[in-house]
Amino acid sequence: MKVLAFQQAPYRHMPADFAEKYNSVVNTPYFELVDNQLMHEDHVHFIDEMLHAARCGFDGIGLTEHGQSSYDVLPNPNLQLAALAYATQSEGLDTALACLGRSLGKTKEPLRVAEEYAVLDQISGGRLIAGYPISLSFDSNINQGIPPIQTRDRFAENIMLIDKAHKEKEPFAWNGKYNKHPHVNLWPRPVQPSLPVWSPAVGNPHTLGGILDRDQVFLYFSWFGPKLTGRIFDRYWEMAEERGRDTNPYRLAFLQCVAVGETDEEAHREYGPHVKAAFNTGLGCIPQSNLGVPGYMDINGVEAVTRDPGDFGIFPKMRTAAYEEIVDAQACIVGGVDTVAEQLIELIKSHRIGNLLLMTQHGSMPTELTKKNISLVAEKVMPKLRQAWSEAGFDAQGWEHNWWPTGLTN
Amino acid sequence: MSNNTNIKGPEREEVIGVWNDEISLRVNIAGDGPALLYFHPAGGLYWDEFLDALAESYTVYAPELPGTTPGDPYAIHKVKDYTDLILMYEELIQKLNLKGSVAIGQSMGGMIAFDLASFYPDIFSHLIGLAPCGLWRDDAPVAIADLYVAAPETVPSFLFDDPSLPAAQAMLSLPEDPANIPKHVAQAVWNLGCAGKFMWPFPDHGLGGRLHRIAIPTLVLWGRNDNLVPSIYAEDFGANISGSEVHLYENCGHILQIEKLDDALSDVKRFIA
Repeated sequence: MKVLAFQQAPYRHMPADFAEKYNSVVNTPYFELVDNQLMHEDHVHFIDEMLHAARCGFDGIGLTEHGQSSYDVLPNPNLQLAALAYATQSEGLDTALACLGRSLGKTKEPLRVAEEYAVLDQISGGRLIAGYPISLSFDSNINQGIPPIQTRDRFAENIMLIDKAHKEKEPFAWNGKYNKHPHVNLWPRPVQPSLPVWSPAVGNPHTLGGILDRDQVFLYFSWFGPKLTGRIFDRYWEMAEERGRDTNPYRLAFLQCVAVGETDEEAHREYGPHVKAAFNTGLGCIPQSNLGVPGYMDINGVEAVTRDPGDFGIFPKMRTAAYEEIVDAQACIVGGVDTVAEQLIELIKSHRIGNLLLMTQHGSMPTELTKKNISLVAEKVMPKLRQAWSEAGFDAQGWEHNWWPTGLTN
Repeated sequence: MSNNTNIKGPEREEVIGVWNDEISLRVNIAGDGPALLYFHPAGGLYWDEFLDALAESYTVYAPELPGTTPGDPYAIHKVKDYTDLILMYEELIQKLNLKGSVAIGQSMGGMIAFDLASFYPDIFSHLIGLAPCGLWRDDAPVAIADLYVAAPETVPSFLFDDPSLPAAQAMLSLPEDPANIPKHVAQAVWNLGCAGKFMWPFPDHGLGGRLHRIAIPTLVLWGRNDNLVPSIYAEDFGANISGSEVHLYENCGHILQIEKLDDALSDVKRFIA
């Protein structure tokens, strides 16, 4: 199996009364809340921590894109990945770089995304995993002004344009609905003949169908609590079977928040306040209405989630959720090495997870504690995961990882 | 459609094929007398007492925006852009033989009606806007985007000065049977989504530059306390359409034909008599 370190980049110094004073992390006032010195340090620490994860032996590092939000200050994650691509290359680290990714329902410049991915793949010598998310509604519709009902159509055109721009041998003209280019002939192209594509999604059957039809990896972010949302994976594997796809566990990537201490008590004591803040005043402060501007979700999808909002798990009450609720729902798995490993192994086995992304920084968590978390995962949890993986027999079934970077040699 | 049992509603409907028959436009019809076209707002067609009353003296034709007709949600994907939408409505008017009729448009429907009149100066006999969209000024932003992302409990305050009015409550009510609520909610959200193709992020397709082409009798009605499309736009419509009449209603919000039903009916009937 593959284990990746994943992080968002929150501004880590929100005041203690943030939740009472501000109702959202997607229209947060900047100047009254931010100290430039601290914002600068957060950016440097973020890259430090990702590099630390690469040095600790994670198979890959992953990050994603959010514009105009205080919970993830990464308007273009490829900027950070460029630095990480060079740093890992110069240290001889064979770490996959997962951009999860540039939002294709949002971008008005898909060729720019194609060029960035190609450059990253060149700097890293073919270590890029390309993420093709549709984008969150607030980012594509509110920040970028895309009419919600066009978000998925724009995504569909952009993904085709990027793929063709990477692979087409002859220059071509693109006269699309949203993109018009008389001459497309990118320099450079990616090292890898076909970039491995991982597509984040929340479990919408329509989106899952597209991921399977394009033979990509489904990446699920389990912030809503996998105990509550596990049915999404049953749905995914059923849909794979219906579409004639195999049950290769590498088709599924799963992100899980973790906070690992030497003991359960230490973990709850050291990480608890940061984890609670991360959910209460981070993700929990994205207003639900900003995640689904009318038209963003298909009419049948709206009816389905109105009838049964179960796919959203703990999200509707995340803003006020008690720490115990967050931990009970497994929105974040907090504990000593054995506790965390046991819960992760259970998830891996029950959902056929071939790629595990572990989110290691939460809310206000300072950099030294974040690095401690990363180190403990790498040194003490990962070996247990790999052992369990081999015992589960997935490898023995002969599954090839068809969605992992090939490097320069292939 | 209406949940208010006091509302008679449309008497019949016609489905007209437009755009080389790729799109079916459903038209709700009621009444007798001269033809009157009504263009609905972004929330979809809600047949209210205002339309009932007009149907006593006129034949009211109320077409539904593509995609908002129940059972045909994906028609919206066949409408490439706003210009094609205007052409589709013009085709509908031709096919129903309604050229020269009175046109009333509410909010988004106002933008559509005024643009039809600017593209085709003789398509209507009279033009009436009920707080029409279509213009933009930086000192009075139209709050459509705010409405689209508003928490459900705050939506009434965008639409009404006094959301407690029974007619306002009726318009926003959910089905009594809980089993029917998801479908109702999905349709309401989808209606806004369809309208968003032409309203998001701003309902501004350049109508301001075309208003001078409107040369028919024009009446503009507005609620003084409109929280969605500020009433200052009434002045801009009035100033840029030669000979137009403008009336503002005090203590009134965006859906003025519900909040000030008697005044609106009286002004409209007098204007088109």
